[in-house]
Amino acid sequence: MKQLIRLIVNDRDFELAVEPNTTLVDLLRYHLGLTGTKKGCDLGDCGACTVLMDGKAVNSCLVLAVQANGRTVQTIEGLETAEGLHPLQLAFVEKGAIQCGFCSSGMILSAKELLDRTPHPQESEIRRAISGNLCRCTGYQKIIEAIKDATH
Amino acid sequence: MILPKFEFHEPTTVAEACDLMARHRGKARPLAGGTDLLVNMKKKVLSPGHLVSLGRIPELSRLERSNGTFWVGAGVTVSDIAASDAVAEVVRALGQGARALGTPLIRNLATIGGNIGSARPAADLPPSLLIYGAELVLAGASGERRMPVVEFFKGPGVTAAREDELITAIVIEVPRGYSGAGYLNLGVRKAQDCNIVNAASFLELDEKAERIRTARIALGSVGPTPLRAPKAEKLLVGEKPCERLFELAAEAATRDCTPILDFRGSAEYRRTMVGVLTRRTLDMALAEARSRR
Repeated sequence: MKQLIRLIVNDRDFELAVEPNTTLVDLLRYHLGLTGTKKGCDLGDCGACTVLMDGKAVNSCLVLAVQANGRTVQTIEGLETAEGLHPLQLAFVEKGAIQCGFCSSGMILSAKELLDRTPHPQESEIRRAISGNLCRCTGYQKIIEAIKDATH
Repeated sequence: MILPKFEFHEPTTVAEACDLMARHRGKARPLAGGTDLLVNMKKKVLSPGHLVSLGRIPELSRLERSNGTFWVGAGVTVSDIAASDAVAEVVRALGQGARALGTPLIRNLATIGGNIGSARPAADLPPSLLIYGAELVLAGASGERRMPVVEFFKGPGVTAAREDELITAIVIEVPRGYSGAGYLNLGVRKAQDCNIVNAASFLELDEKAERIRTARIALGSVGPTPLRAPKAEKLLVGEKPCERLFELAAEAATRDCTPILDFRGSAEYRRTMVGVLTRRTLDMALAEARSRR
């Protein structure tokens, strides 16, 4: 039976009826059309589906939509403002940290949680922060450089 | 991957949750962080008819130290344990286990109660809980009981909890005086990996900080449950800590476990690594114990 939930996604209020077995990643992609959140392994291994829930980076494939009831979610679409791209997004573009792009939204959100907490992290902290996000193109180095660059 | 269908319950008190578990006995599963349960449901290993979500029961997220005991609600997330100053100060090895678990994304969801309740032999938190002599608070439809963590594990995924029972908290007696502990894990990668071997050691020295009064060693991934290492512990008690003694204890620990061979490593490799990790965690425990003089 569908259940009614209310949540805030990228500063917008939503009220929806969902089946309990709908995951947050499917809610975002298929119900709200926010396809910037990617679905990779769907088992919590790859981090492509990373979103911020109440400010914490989580695998949205391991959260039920009903568990997100009453919570605040931020996806990659919520980072850009009227002034333009978020500094992390800009740094990823400028430093060549994006190749195929499939891991990028998750990488950027994991990095955002880190920088929100620790504005000037050590390289080791950056590496730990993105350890749940797999990238098969870049070899990670450009991504780490981009995150460092975004802290300047 | 599509999750099997289930009925979703969201109680706000422990009593209500136990009641739901009892009412749907055998068909219900408690849902905490979901990092283990939802994966198993997607893989169709499990398909419970009812999920009892524990995420909206405020008393489960209590983390506090009072009157010589450390109280960790079962719903406290692994990342909160990893970041807690109180944990780092009083039960350091538990914090080390928390930082070793999964990835930052998993740690933000996973709970300590879930890490215990899923009863995986390679789990990162149980060895530290074993060496601190932690107790579990179990709540059921007919009341509450306490049980040492070591008695809770019965086999891979099998526990002493009854079908209507939930872990509500972990209680640790704050270690006394000259005591210290350490936890280490070995995997193929540093993150997002299942351990090949993990180990924790606890040492308490006498009032002169000379001889070992209490020694506890716990090993993970080398038996059907996390194990204590009684041969190694016996060797240490009453002795003055030194390199030779720790080498003997590490060697004894390799005979206290029953590792299996699988794609992650051979039984022989695991046994050898039990010695290495035991030795290193004993060094960590001694260093912390001496630093408290």
